[in-house]
Amino acid sequence: MSIHLHFFLLLSLLIFTIGIYGVLIRRNLIGILIGVELMLNAASLNFLAFNRYVVTDPAVGQIIVLFIIGLAAAEAAILLSIILRVYRSHRNIDADSLTEMRGR
Amino acid sequence: MESMVSLGIIAVMAIGGALISVSNKNILHAIFGLGLSLVGIAGLFLYLGSPFVAVMEILIYVGGITITMIFAVMLTSMTLSREKRSISRWLFAAVPALIFFAVMAYFIYGQFGVAGSNEVIPVSTSAWSIERIGELLLTRFNLVFETLSVVLLLAIVGAIVIARKERQQ
Repeated sequence: MSIHLHFFLLLSLLIFTIGIYGVLIRRNLIGILIGVELMLNAASLNFLAFNRYVVTDPAVGQIIVLFIIGLAAAEAAILLSIILRVYRSHRNIDADSLTEMRGR
Repeated sequence: MESMVSLGIIAVMAIGGALISVSNKNILHAIFGLGLSLVGIAGLFLYLGSPFVAVMEILIYVGGITITMIFAVMLTSMTLSREKRSISRWLFAAVPALIFFAVMAYFIYGQFGVAGSNEVIPVSTSAWSIERIGELLLTRFNLVFETLSVVLLLAIVGAIVIARKERQQ
């Protein structure tokens, strides 16, 4: 018995669905960031699964996953600094109560 | 057989950590659940035959992004989110996720379930090696590589500019 491609596809689909649920149900900005990271990871898992089972040049998928990881790092850095800035001016990082983006 | 058991453990880690990270009220515990899920996903990468990407995943995600999130939580002191879960909000989150899941699962089973290619490409070829990745990064994907480094530099500078305390005049 061997593992088929659709096992990995369903696994990454499940993680992506959990990420969508987390983005929609959280009010904390860091919670929303956690959901986004889960979705990015599901996408990279999908890339590597197709890379293993379908594509003829396996290095390309790994390079794409490395790019996804780098972009996720940049995005997390920017988002966390924005969270710090918002907390400093509003004393709050709940997404529902932040209805204005006017500084100080 | 052992590989099946270990794959199952890794998959349960990935899914369970993701569930913890979206459902726990304490945001620190949610971040630890995210770390568990990321370790599981790194294990899946290892199973899929690319140890370099798995190591990079653990190094950058578990060692970098998770720790940075914990720093942000500590600095903002918003550990316990006082969110009250109303049923309408839960429906607003769960229904689109379930619809997405159903549609995509339908397509996956329609496309790859019955007649899909289930042959595993052997891992031990030279195409999976780190040398090949480095060679491609410096030749064919050089532009993307340099663009990504510029993006990272801009992210660092932008994060410093945004999060910096302003001097009082």
